[in-house]
Amino acid sequence: MTTRRDLFKFAGGSAMGLLLTPAPWRLITDTALWSENWPGIPRPARGEIRAKFTHCGLCAAGCAVRARCVGEQPVSLAGVEGGLCPFGVTGHHLPYHPERLRHGNRPEAAAAVARAIANSAPDRRVAVLDLQPGRTASWTCRRALAALKNGVYLAPEEPACAVNLAPAGTVLSLGAPLLDGWGSPDRVFRARSGFRLIQAEAVESRTAALADQWLAVQPGSESVLGRAVAGTVGLRQAAEATGLAEAQIAEVARSLRENGPALIVAPEMTSEVLAWNLALGAWGKTVLPRREAPLPREWSKAAPVTPLAAVEVGSLGALLIDESVPGAPLPWAAIQPKLAADAVVVAFSWSRAGYARHATHVLPAAVYPEALGDLPPALVAPSVGSAAEFRLTVPLVAAPDGMTDPAEFLSAVAGLDAKDALRQRAAAIHAAARGSLRTYADGKTSAVKDLKFDDFWKALNAGGSWMGEVENSGKSPHLAPAAPIPDAGDPWPLRLSTTQPGAPALVSPLMTKLWQESGLRLGPHRAALNPRAGFEEGARAVLETPYGRCEIQAALDGSVPPGVVLVAYTPEIADIRGADGCARLVRI
Amino acid sequence: MDKDFIARGVKRCSTGRFLLWIAPWAALLAFGLYSAGLCLVKGLNQTNMDNRFPFGLWIFLDLTVIALGAGAFFTGFLLYILKLDELKAVISSAVVIGLVCYSGAIAVLLVDVGQPLRAWFTFWYPNVHSMLTEVTFCLSCYLTVLAIEYLPIVLKNRKLRQVPSFLVFEFELHKLIYVLAGVGTFLSFFHQGSLGGLYGVLRGRPFAFREGLAVWPSTFFLFILSAAAVGPSFIVLTTHLVEKLSRRRLVRQQALELLGRISGLLLAVYVLAKTIDTLVWINRTSPESGFPAAQYYSWKPFGTWILFAEIVLFGLAPALVLLAPRLRARRAWLVSAAGLACFGVALNRFVMTVQTLAVPTLSFDQFVSYFPSWQEIGTFLAVVAYGVLVYSLSFRYLQLFPEERELKMAQAAEESSAELVGRY
Amino acid sequence: MNKRYGMSIDIDKCTGCGACMVACAVENNVPALPGANDRRGITWMRVYRVDNGEEYPDRRSAFVPMLCQQCGVETPCAHVCPQQAVDVDPATGIVGQMPERCLGCRYCMAACPYHARYFNWWDPQWPAGMEKTLNPDVAPRMRGVVEKCNFCHGRYHRAKERAAAAGEKDIRPGEYIPACVEACPAGAIRFGDLNDPSSEVAAARHEAGSFRLLEKLGTDPKIYYHSTRDWVRQIAFAPKPGGKENLHG
Repeated sequence: MTTRRDLFKFAGGSAMGLLLTPAPWRLITDTALWSENWPGIPRPARGEIRAKFTHCGLCAAGCAVRARCVGEQPVSLAGVEGGLCPFGVTGHHLPYHPERLRHGNRPEAAAAVARAIANSAPDRRVAVLDLQPGRTASWTCRRALAALKNGVYLAPEEPACAVNLAPAGTVLSLGAPLLDGWGSPDRVFRARSGFRLIQAEAVESRTAALADQWLAVQPGSESVLGRAVAGTVGLRQAAEATGLAEAQIAEVARSLRENGPALIVAPEMTSEVLAWNLALGAWGKTVLPRREAPLPREWSKAAPVTPLAAVEVGSLGALLIDESVPGAPLPWAAIQPKLAADAVVVAFSWSRAGYARHATHVLPAAVYPEALGDLPPALVAPSVGSAAEFRLTVPLVAAPDGMTDPAEFLSAVAGLDAKDALRQRAAAIHAAARGSLRTYADGKTSAVKDLKFDDFWKALNAGGSWMGEVENSGKSPHLAPAAPIPDAGDPWPLRLSTTQPGAPALVSPLMTKLWQESGLRLGPHRAALNPRAGFEEGARAVLETPYGRCEIQAALDGSVPPGVVLVAYTPEIADIRGADGCARLVRI
Repeated sequence: MDKDFIARGVKRCSTGRFLLWIAPWAALLAFGLYSAGLCLVKGLNQTNMDNRFPFGLWIFLDLTVIALGAGAFFTGFLLYILKLDELKAVISSAVVIGLVCYSGAIAVLLVDVGQPLRAWFTFWYPNVHSMLTEVTFCLSCYLTVLAIEYLPIVLKNRKLRQVPSFLVFEFELHKLIYVLAGVGTFLSFFHQGSLGGLYGVLRGRPFAFREGLAVWPSTFFLFILSAAAVGPSFIVLTTHLVEKLSRRRLVRQQALELLGRISGLLLAVYVLAKTIDTLVWINRTSPESGFPAAQYYSWKPFGTWILFAEIVLFGLAPALVLLAPRLRARRAWLVSAAGLACFGVALNRFVMTVQTLAVPTLSFDQFVSYFPSWQEIGTFLAVVAYGVLVYSLSFRYLQLFPEERELKMAQAAEESSAELVGRY
Repeated sequence: MNKRYGMSIDIDKCTGCGACMVACAVENNVPALPGANDRRGITWMRVYRVDNGEEYPDRRSAFVPMLCQQCGVETPCAHVCPQQAVDVDPATGIVGQMPERCLGCRYCMAACPYHARYFNWWDPQWPAGMEKTLNPDVAPRMRGVVEKCNFCHGRYHRAKERAAAAGEKDIRPGEYIPACVEACPAGAIRFGDLNDPSSEVAAARHEAGSFRLLEKLGTDPKIYYHSTRDWVRQIAFAPKPGGKENLHG
């Protein structure tokens, strides 16, 4: 007979026995495991891991990129030949940026442009502003504009030459961010140990901090030093302008002449900078002609490059701004007077931050790494010397619907069939049967003449890189005399200096680690000032220039000289920054 | 209304007045619970702590509260182990204060950790080398001991005594009290010590790092000493406060003086030990890890004045007052000195937690500052309110001061005899 | 033989571009949260700007990448963790953090002299769609736990698997490098086995101008720095009495 007592005893005994089995202990450990995965935390997708190759489209340097992909989705980017800059490392985040432009009314914009073309008076022009000239898409635009009766092709001034750092013995950098995104890190840093770097710059930039010698010149006087070294300006005048001792300048000039080959670089490699280099005998050694990959013969009918200054005031009836690739924008204050009162302005943009603020129509453009394109001729030439290159920015992810390609938009308006421009260009390169193709996946280099066109085209689309044969630099060019030095007037006591010009309009949200979660870089809307400039840390102020104003917050920094305000490069700053950098700060 | 629950022979204020007293504290508790709830639901981003100040107001006050709550174990030790029977007058009150301090501190700790649900991991995957493991084990064990010690006090309630099985249970528990006092003392010594060890072992923070005996740095022993020294002082302070608030005499002056004397004695020993420790640290420990001690005091507002305040102003001075029989016989002196001693220990805990984190370790570090958010302050106020409520309820319904009735009768007798004398 | 992975960072080469910082966040699924600031953000790798203390134009700056220094002796964080959420792997010498074991008491953060440990003050979040770019080898952490550099643990495992698949017992030098090393455009960071005398890092530590931060604490950090500039090497030592505030980073 089972009593109630027996039942209790049985239950108690079972409980005791259970403790001796692994079950309860396992259960406790498992509760720990459950608490490890709370809901709401995303789980990374899993899948086959593979590598894809492309070239970075975030600046004209176009570094070779290896993307680690899960299935088709890139999850990290790395350089093929050395590292990448922080923008490049995080490029695969751009398609998901919350501030990315996703919608636009293309038919409306197309109709407005078509109307502007149709109704235009003889003195009215249709213009394209191309922020990154020299691409195949640039050629498409120029061809389309040539097909229109009054098309004008506008672009920022292209470098007057390419530079080769590999043979350089001494490099004088006049404020160029040589070590900070000026050329592809691979080409710059590989050559770095071979040359002595003299950085002349008012602010101790990243490049100045790592230069062999930093010359803290008066803000805005860098070019005077260049002239002095080239001998077009006297030592005394240069010393007065730069604040350096005459002996110091003479020493720089001497070291450039004696420890050659010498090279002078500036933020913009204008023809004047080229002239200084020619005076140092750098042509053919450190300064080379900028070579462009072969073009199909039929592309010769293209609109010429017109400087913005040459456009008549109020003459632009329609302006198409190609912001679909990053480049150094022209200040809006310079563009705006050229527009007619009823001008149609179409911006092809990644976000609302750039020219989209001024445009009548904004069309979303595919971001890196969604868009297929190619890169302009490189500023920093390959170490072997003067050779043309052709490299594609191959899409790593598909672009969402509704994105507009500016070249395609314009050729549709102009009635030009340019869908296969890149392929035609590749065919022209292949037809020339010169140079070699490098494929990153296997690290092989093969001569173009041994390749069938289909294989060549396929390899280019898998992130291959074509390089032409090294050519003789030829005779040094003849150059026009230099422009006069601008003089900063009294109401503008400060010089405006910017970090990282040409940074992409959209950067990965992770980039905020560099200015929000640390103080490594200057964040947007922050202005670094000398602690003795009379502002407190965090004080709000208005930055004024002859072209406009913009609100900033002061960040005190002992490495910024008195008389200089250093700001992060943003579209707002680009709009108000003049060539002379005149500025003043007004406390709020 | 609640007369049946109030102990025989003592007088308590009316229910209405009591509710009036309770109401603001209850409101504060509600506000504090809301603050703590925010921290639990939304996370510790509600606080002003950050990666450079991973410990803030809560840890500082936890350390202080636990040091002040040491009166419970130390009085128990003096009464049950060393047989100082005068202390029977305050032991129940000390137990309640201890319980409030410890349970409050543990509650705040549970809000302070990022994943309270994993608190039990410490028991499941203990790292025996960690001082925090020692603290966790001892704190939770000692809180259990305190709860068991509190139980007989609750069961002595007039109404509860009517349940016969409670009486038996209480009687049985009472037999255990010596064991409990012993265990409590042992556990307390350990966790007070390991709370000190918490900082003393921080090799990477030479401001806090100390050499010591075996695995225990000197702060281990200093924390035990200082806690034992101020525990009695805090009982003096609270008893005085309760007497003032309730306008009743609760204990004889002798008991308080005895507590003061013990406190003074231990404080003197502590000041001596702390001085020696500081000298060794300045001249040997800190320079050996590459940190000249002068550096720590070059960051304003932490000058050397803080050392002076800690050792002399709030250490030596109250110790001397408490050791002088004539001074401690006066209530004002006794209470002031006890207050200074308590403040001194709080300052020591502040220095160990806050200054340790504020002074830079790398040459390119910044001196960092921190001010708690309202959620942090609110959470702490919840503990204060909880303490006041538990103590108030215990004082009203339980017999915390066994001498209260005698003192009242003596007072009544005195008054009536005076009356008689006056009449004749 | 057991490995002892370490790093050698050439401060004279670091341009302070921050590629290592973002590459680290990409690799280890560290989110950037709107409320995070320099004291609440998560930057396993963080580049500080230091200077020689002079005023313009004598001011000279240098950039110091800071990460967990992987202390080998009396590892301060591993020592204090109450629940063994921090461990030093004897096979690699890497100080590991198990966020899923962490209670979030932050004692290890108080213990670390290098401020290389970070607390998750918020739940992790990514802009819509960006969670697709998360690294499948690393689990995102929940709020309330501490995390830090582990020399890209996911990469170590991947390298181990590759080696095993190739039938090799050991990871070959160069097969396993953390994301920051790979990303650095200036080639300022080298990584390898300090126990292997033929490795670059083992050689680099004996170079003139090589130093470690706060070496006198006696924790045997495995990150070696290098600079030929005297004032830069002063960062190895404790702050000077009356030192000035000069932190950027």
